[in-house]
Parts: sequence; structure tokens; C-alpha cells
Amino acid sequence: METLQLLKQLSEAPGLPGHEEPVRALVRTLWTPLVDEIHIDGLGSLLGRRRGSGPEPRPTLMFAAHMDEIGLRVVAIERGFLRVARVGGTDRRILPGTEVLVHGERDLPGVVGMRPPHVVPPDRRDKTLPWEELFVDVGLPEEELKAVVRVGDPISFRREAVELKNGLLAGKALDNRVSVAVLTLALEHLSRTSPTWDVVAVATVQEEVGLYGATTAAYGVAPDIAVAVDVTFGRQAGVPNHRAFPLGEGIAIGVGPNFHPAMVERLKRTAEANEIPYHIDPIPGRSGTDAWAIQVSREGVPTGLVSVPLRYMHQPVETVSLKDVERAGRLLALFAAGLEADFRPRWEDE
Amino acid sequence: MNDLICQLTEAYGPSGFEDAVRSLLRSVVTPLADEVRVTPLGSLVAVRRGTGNGRRIVLAAHMDEIGVMVTYVDEKGFLRFTPIGGVSPLTCLGARVRFENGTLGVIGSEKREDPGKAPTFEQLYIDVGATGRDDCPVRVGDAAVFERPFAVQGRRLVAKAMDDRIGCAVLVETLRRLGPTPHEVHFVFSVQEETTLSGARTAAYGIEPDMAIAVDVTGTGDTPESRPMAVELGKGPAIKVQDAGMIAHPTVREWLVRAAEAAGIPYQMEVLEWGTTDAAAMQLVRSGVPSGCLSIPCRYIHTPSEMVDQEDVEGAVRLLLHALQTA
Repeated sequence: METLQLLKQLSEAPGLPGHEEPVRALVRTLWTPLVDEIHIDGLGSLLGRRRGSGPEPRPTLMFAAHMDEIGLRVVAIERGFLRVARVGGTDRRILPGTEVLVHGERDLPGVVGMRPPHVVPPDRRDKTLPWEELFVDVGLPEEELKAVVRVGDPISFRREAVELKNGLLAGKALDNRVSVAVLTLALEHLSRTSPTWDVVAVATVQEEVGLYGATTAAYGVAPDIAVAVDVTFGRQAGVPNHRAFPLGEGIAIGVGPNFHPAMVERLKRTAEANEIPYHIDPIPGRSGTDAWAIQVSREGVPTGLVSVPLRYMHQPVETVSLKDVERAGRLLALFAAGLEADFRPRWEDE
Repeated sequence: MNDLICQLTEAYGPSGFEDAVRSLLRSVVTPLADEVRVTPLGSLVAVRRGTGNGRRIVLAAHMDEIGVMVTYVDEKGFLRFTPIGGVSPLTCLGARVRFENGTLGVIGSEKREDPGKAPTFEQLYIDVGATGRDDCPVRVGDAAVFERPFAVQGRRLVAKAMDDRIGCAVLVETLRRLGPTPHEVHFVFSVQEETTLSGARTAAYGIEPDMAIAVDVTGTGDTPESRPMAVELGKGPAIKVQDAGMIAHPTVREWLVRAAEAAGIPYQMEVLEWGTTDAAAMQLVRSGVPSGCLSIPCRYIHTPSEMVDQEDVEGAVRLLLHALQTA
């Protein structure tokens, strides 16, 4: 499938932490023809295994990308309006004026509005609204609303992904659907080759609230090595250069304690050998991505991190470069296909 | 033992880059242990088999130390950096750092509005003597440690990375002097304690111990106007009751107390109100591991001049040796 269409579909599918059903159904459709086995684990992560060609017992490489997205949750119904709380790192500064989808008994379009500026006292006009003043309006009278929506129902952002100039795409949930697209592209590439290792692609759940999906998936798969895919800061005004990477100029490879040096080396060498531009993303401690949960699973898993630069993180206009997405997909596939049957990450002093 | 402590403290090993320390320790423990292996995350495990009917016991000391990591190289060759573990900007001013490839760097500061106030990391940079990006000998993602030689001053020892190479030295010395014991003892030299405790956590998962003890440094309350704490340098190793990350298991704590009492080794009880150790991670592995901590009192922790007392170090070795002879 064309990368643009793939990414648009993934971006627009709802899937809040713990409520990933809609996006999981989409990913399952995408992956089923590309893998030998597919299943859902106890927490809801989707795992697709592509069996390798090497002799059994074969080593396993795990790829992980989280499919959940940040959003809102209904915490009360008051006078026909929904009072909400955030799920994951939703920033309330961007809420007024956004369209949402309330996942009640059925899906209801809604809007987040605020008082007209004309009636806001001058000293409050520049202030960020507190949660108490933010409501979702679906248009239904209180009694009808209560019949369809319950406290606890998730609310996702409703936003059509839009193609910008220069091969960029803007949309909601590109953190981290962009990486689910990367895994999908990698599986497509791999379907035309015959890797020695087993490759298990995992679309994890509940990353945004605590890396829970990756924690249980890594325990279940017990991989020999793993690569997590996530987003990193794209360069934009107000973000220091040393913390961000330009869009469209390559992917980022994480360096630091969270990552096994041999995994980093191999990712770098694979990129270099195939003319895939990359940057080094220095991460001095736990990365805050699925890579950390996987690394400390069981007796420890040598792990790497590949990131796609993204602007406007945690806003419904997250922006990525299609070129970077394709590069990451190719890098993962080449990495997997290049693993020798006896490859094992070694230490410098071994 | 001071030769080993000197070698260990002067070695390069920030969290995630422990190869040199592991290499050194591996060569020292290999002739002393029944089995030596490295875990998938890089922790070194040396096993001494028991004579039977004992427990499987982990003694853990971490190999990694705090340091800095390069985040950006500017066009004039100055490096921006971020801390690895609990580094204070205060100890950075004027400090020298050493990279894995031997490059020496000096930490400087931008001009500050109020020079009396501590700088932020954003205001600091490393100068390696480069004139631009092209001749800069280090790259983004490279890590460095503080540069400071080991020194002996009477009973006191001073060095960078005493946290926790002194624990590593205690483990090596315990292994060296350990006679037959009923217990199967796993000496774990862990990685990544300063950042995430993930080395000990994963090693303990693989070992499935009946009991785990971290050997690490702890703070003291015996310096001018210090934060109150009932631990002093030179009054013996400290047996942990609680820190910010764990409550020591009472059976482990009392096992250590009984050994100290029986062997007549001075000891102190420790309540640390900040910080924690590998024991906090090990106690949560699988269905739970009774865990505790034997601490070496240490002044100026997380500065490049960490100070311990030789008698406390010797006491810790003797305490562990005695404990391992008991059931």
C-alpha cells in the first residue's frame, strides 16, 4: 500500500490507552497477510510472527511500536455537557476549538468550546483554561446523552490527516501510528525476503500511560533482541537544536544506557550500508519509550531504538515526513534480514 | 586492596558504558569463582558454589558511575551535554571530564546573570580544545566521566566513582577470602544502577535468588552543618533499615546484625532519607526476593571526591564473610 494512504488510515483510527480496539482491528487487517501467526495478548497488544528460515530453535527479534494515542475521558455528565480528564499527556491549552469523537454506546462527534472572548474578563483572556472550564458538547439533551454516554467513556481527537507540501503529513496520533506504519512497511519488505530469525512485530497498548503493553508483550515473547520504534522531536521554532532533528533528513538511532551498544552499531552499519541517513539521539537514562520496558524484561533484552522525527508532539497536528517513515521501514527490514543465525550482541570486552 | 580500589575508581564506566570496569573485574574474579558469565544487559556474575543445604544469595555492587553525555557539537567545537545519573551542575564548574577514547574535556559556563547562583546544565558546555566540528574528537552520544585521581589520606580513601566501585572492591575481597560456605553465592557486578537499577533487576531475574543484598555507599551526617543522619565515617559498615526506595527485609537485616554482633565488628543502623540502591529493584523481581543492603558510609556522594574509611570497608568484608558462614 502507498505510504500516504497507510499513514492516513492509521492516523485517523481511534485507539486510546486501554481502548485500542478500532486501531487494532485495522492493524490486524494490515498484518494478517504478512505474517505466519497473529494473536492478541492478555493486555491487548497485537503480535504478528513471521517465522524465519533458520533451524529450530530459532532466535527471535521483536519489533515494537505502540498503537495507543493520547486523548480524553468522560468524568462527569453535567447539564448535557461532558466534563473530561486527560488520558496520557494531553495538553489542555490546545483543547478549545477542537473536534472530538466520543466513544459511547455509539460514536458521537463532539466539540470542545469555550465562552466567547467578548464575555471573558480582560484579565483572563490570555489564561489557559482550567479543566473545570472545559466541556465536550455533542449536542444531545441531558437525558438522551446519558442514555448513550457513560462516565469512563474514552474520547479521541477527530481530525482528518492532511498532506502538507514537501512530502509532510499532519494529523492526530502520528505519535505513534507513524511507527505502526514503519512496522507494516518492514513486514511488507520482509514478505519478499527470507530472514533466518523469527520476527515478531508488536503493536503495543497503553504506552502513553506507562509502557504497560510492551512490558507484558516482551515478557510473553521473551525475544533475544528487540528494536522499539517511536517518535522523537522534529526541529521547530522554540526547541533547541540539540534536542530535535530536521524532518525529511533521516531517522534517529538512540544511544545511551537503554540501548545495547552492539544493537546501536548494527543499526548504524545497516543504515550506512544502505544509504539511509540517520542522526544519533543521545538519551542518558531510561528512554520513556517501549524500549525501556523491553530492555528490563526477564533477564534483560539487548534493545535498540529507531525514531521518526515529528513536530508538534501531543497535538492533533503532529507532522512527519513520509520519506523518514519509509526509511525507517526499510532500515528495520534490512536489519532483520541481515541477522546471521548465530548473531548475538557482544560486549566490547568479550 | 587499595591497589584494586585505585584501579577500579580510576576506570571509565558511566551507566551503559561499563565495558572497561567489567573487563577489569572479569580478569580479577575469573580465577576466584566457579563460574563467570555476563547477562544480556552486561552485568557480570561470578558464582561460588555452596557445600549444600544453603540458600542462593545475591551480593550486588554496581559497576557504573555518574557522568555526562554529549548532546550537541556547535560550529566552534564546544559540546553541550546532559547528565547521566545524579550529577549536580555545582560540581561541574571547572571540572575535567574524560571520554572513553581518552579525550579530556573542561567544563565551562556561559556568562550568568547572577554568578552567585548555580548554573543550569543548559548554561554549561565542555571544551575539548577543538576549533570546530571537524576536528572535534568526540561525537553526539559519547559519554564522559569526571576525572580525578585516587588518593589515600590516613584511614580515608578519596576518589571519583567510590560510588560504587568500593562496593565492587568489597565483593571481590569477600570472594577472594571466602572459604567453604553452605550457600550458593552469586556476586553480581551490575550495570545501570545510577540511571534505572535495570542491571541488578534483570540479573536477579535470571538468578532467582532466595535472598539479595546490595553493597553500596550511603550518606553520612558527620560533616559541618550536614543534613542530620545517624551514620558516621569510621564507625563501621551500615546495615540498612530503610531508604527512599525500599524497606529492608527484616530477616536479611537481622542476618547481617547477628553476623556483626557474633564477629564483634562495629556496625551502624542506617535510615537514608534520599536515594536508593539495587536492592530496591531486586526485591521486586518475580514473586519477590527478601532483600537488604550493607552500606559503606561515604561523604560527598556524587561529587568527584567521594570519601570512605578503610576500616569501614574492611569491616564490610569481614561482616559478609561471617554472615556467609551462618545459615
